[in-house]
Amino acid sequence: MKNRITRFIFVSLIFLSVLCILVFSLMARYMHDKSGETIDEIGSVYMKGVGEQILLNFETSMDLRMSQMEAWYKNETLDPQNDRESMRSTFAYLAKARGYSNIGYYYGGNDFDMLYGDKIQIKDHDQFQGMLEDGNRWISIATDANGENLAILGVPIDYTDGNNQKVLALTVTLSMDYISRIFAMEKEDTLVNSYIILPNGSFVVRHNQGNYFDSVRERGDNKLLQYIDDLEAAMEVGVDYTGVFGENDERIRVYCAALAYSDWYLVTAMPFGMLNETIDGLNRSRMFSALGACGIILLAFVFIFFGYFRLTRQQIRELDKARDDAVRATKAKTEFLSNMSHDIRTPMNAIVGMTAIATANIDNKEQVKNCLRKITLSSRHLLGLINDVLDMSKIESGKMTLNMDKISLSEVMDGIVNIAQPQVKAKEQHFDVFIHDVSHENVMSDSVRLNQVLLNLISNAIKFTPEKGKIQITMYQEKSPKGDNFIRTHFMIKDTGIGMSPEFLKNVFESYAREDSARVRKTEGAGLGMAITKYIVDAMEGDITVESEQGQGTEFRVMIDFEKASQYEEELILPAWNMLVVDDDKMLCESAVSSLRETGVNAEWTLDGESAVELIDKRHSENNDYHIILLDWKLPGMDGIETARAIHDHLGVDIPILLISAYDWGDIEEEAKDAGISGFIPKPLFKSTLYNGLKRFAAVSEIKEAEIYENEISFEGKKILIAEDNELNWEIAEALLSGLGIELEWAQNGQICLEKLNESPEGYYDAILMDIRMPVMTGYEAASAIRKENRKDSDIPIIAMTADAFAEDIKKCLDCGMNAHIAKPIDIQEVSRVLNKYIMKN
Amino acid sequence: MNLKEYYERIEGDYSGVVSRLMNEKLVMKFVIKFLDDTSFDLLCKSLEEGNNEEAFRAAHTLKGIAQNLSFDKFYKSVYEITEELRNGGSANEATFERVKADYLYLFETTEQLRADNE
Repeated sequence: MKNRITRFIFVSLIFLSVLCILVFSLMARYMHDKSGETIDEIGSVYMKGVGEQILLNFETSMDLRMSQMEAWYKNETLDPQNDRESMRSTFAYLAKARGYSNIGYYYGGNDFDMLYGDKIQIKDHDQFQGMLEDGNRWISIATDANGENLAILGVPIDYTDGNNQKVLALTVTLSMDYISRIFAMEKEDTLVNSYIILPNGSFVVRHNQGNYFDSVRERGDNKLLQYIDDLEAAMEVGVDYTGVFGENDERIRVYCAALAYSDWYLVTAMPFGMLNETIDGLNRSRMFSALGACGIILLAFVFIFFGYFRLTRQQIRELDKARDDAVRATKAKTEFLSNMSHDIRTPMNAIVGMTAIATANIDNKEQVKNCLRKITLSSRHLLGLINDVLDMSKIESGKMTLNMDKISLSEVMDGIVNIAQPQVKAKEQHFDVFIHDVSHENVMSDSVRLNQVLLNLISNAIKFTPEKGKIQITMYQEKSPKGDNFIRTHFMIKDTGIGMSPEFLKNVFESYAREDSARVRKTEGAGLGMAITKYIVDAMEGDITVESEQGQGTEFRVMIDFEKASQYEEELILPAWNMLVVDDDKMLCESAVSSLRETGVNAEWTLDGESAVELIDKRHSENNDYHIILLDWKLPGMDGIETARAIHDHLGVDIPILLISAYDWGDIEEEAKDAGISGFIPKPLFKSTLYNGLKRFAAVSEIKEAEIYENEISFEGKKILIAEDNELNWEIAEALLSGLGIELEWAQNGQICLEKLNESPEGYYDAILMDIRMPVMTGYEAASAIRKENRKDSDIPIIAMTADAFAEDIKKCLDCGMNAHIAKPIDIQEVSRVLNKYIMKN
Repeated sequence: MNLKEYYERIEGDYSGVVSRLMNEKLVMKFVIKFLDDTSFDLLCKSLEEGNNEEAFRAAHTLKGIAQNLSFDKFYKSVYEITEELRNGGSANEATFERVKADYLYLFETTEQLRADNE
């Protein structure tokens, strides 16, 4: 797969590169050709222009000169005064002034009368003579005495000299240099070379007397031969010729045309070299830019392909990784299954084996008991394994959800500590719990899952810490970055156990991982605990980290941002009890009292047992007893137990006393119970700890328990008459009191109440609860009347139960002979307390 | 509407009444029973007839019920009229109007509670 993709990428990259290069080359090539054609066109136009220019120049110049000569002649002949001699001298002078090398009369052949200058010879005098005889101006070639070529210009004149000889023409000669100048021939700084040749090809104005045709033919090129042939043919017909010959840089463009007043031909040749250089420069830069463009595109291709290649590689790597992961997971699962089958089989074998042993020894009670104990242990272990596996499968299928509810962190911690304590005790480990900076103990979370996390960490700590090792749990809170509604809570579980290897530390939170070393072989477990823990913490949007060193110990840190549950805290409501807190730590007293006040309890505190007994005594004499007393175990002077005894000695048994202590209740329970202490609240005293420790005294069933405990007082079978005119109030009273096992009868007013009592056998009712404001007969009247009855039970306890709670109301009740007063609303606590007091008295 | 919302609406003490009567069902039962209570009618009738003593007793009974069921808001107005009527005094018109308004609101809300929970 990988190779295929790589190959595809490279092949396509190469293909695109080649295509790109090809396209650009073709384009360059095409442009090159096109420019060649264009150059040819430009060249021919240019050449033609240059040729025509030269022709015109020549014609104009020659025409001018020859017209001048005609004018000279005319001028001389117009003046009759002029004689032949003066005419000669005038001509000679004029020629000299004009720069002609000579001037003379021409008679035909090579016959001259030189007026000025040296004698000359005409090369082709037949043609010259013929042309002049026909009346044409003509130019031809002559040579001077030195053999230098000269251009001879002849204009026919009608003149007879002094010897009476007919003069055919007036001639002047010009040096070939002059002609050269006219044509700007063979100059270095022009692109164009011009030659004047005769029809036979020989040069007119060349110092080296050669033949153009021959010199070209000498090069021996077929194309050149063809060119010369074409040129000759064109010259013969008398048309202009344009052509190109030569190859590449040596190409030459030629223009050939006949010159005026002569049989000369002008051949203008322009080598392409120069033009080509210019054009080539253009071509080169075009080529370079094309190459550059091609290069840039290629680079872009390479870049894109490389990027794509990298992406693909990365994808492949990821795929590989995923596959590896899957393979590893499968492997881990396989290993896990084999581990598990071993792990499950071990307790299973124990169960089966122990069952068999128990069956075999069914009569040996001790043996059976032992077997059952082992079976219990094994099945508990098995259950743990199965629970882990089920949890993990739940997690892996994404079915685990959190049940967010209000939880109390103190309860969670207490619960965990309670569970951990026996194991810690068994291994004689030092176990410390530090809780500080806890501002919100009530938070929203899933208590079961949170317990699971902490228990797992703690049980691991216990499991992997040797005997007499140290385990420390710390919990504290700080502000959460998630907002004011959250509180960041840290849990730290630190041990001095065997620690973990760095390799294992890396995947400690992975499923099915268990350190595979001899050290942990004997430690059982499915290896799922940490994965489950991690998953739960993640689900709670928390964080779990671990630090560990082999042989030194391990510290797990869990950090969770809990949502505060403060809005629910007002539900921690207790009845409006009067309570006394006795502890030698003033801070503790104050915080406990303020916590109790928040729950609705009226609490007071004192620092030692002696003053506590005094306060309780004082209250008792005011008929305003404390409902519950919280007593520290360790007190200066009289300790908690002694104080409890003293209280009971003074008052009897009816005030529940709870011991508050940081020590284990189990160790002092017996002694405490002997001293009449009804319960225990563990320190530290969280508000919720207090609430939870006290709430059982607010619940009916718990009350019964407490009552039973306190010398087994019960209202079972007691009959109470309730005088209450309002049906609703009666029903409420009935509902509450019947819960205590009391049999109730209803009297709708005082009169009925009195009648009912009188109709009943003496001692039938145990007490009367009396409403005050009733129609027909009020509670006051009824009570007074009852007390006046001549019955043995006329001193029956009558307890006022009214919505009025003023001091004078209470006084009036007592004045009318009632025993006590209970204010509405009916508080079952209060009612049972008062009833207890008066019924039991009887 | 559940009981807690009901108590929030009538400005009563939900946690108080539940902790006192131990049982939400019981509270619910009594609250609904309150609809059958005739003390308020007696109060109105007695005031109309000028029987202040009977009116006091009726107000007092209402006060007791309000305390038992922790109808805190209603308790306040009923408490006031009870004190006005105590010892043969006569009720202030405005106080009675308030008691009436509070009672009607309480009655309506309670009826709604009953309807929601039937």
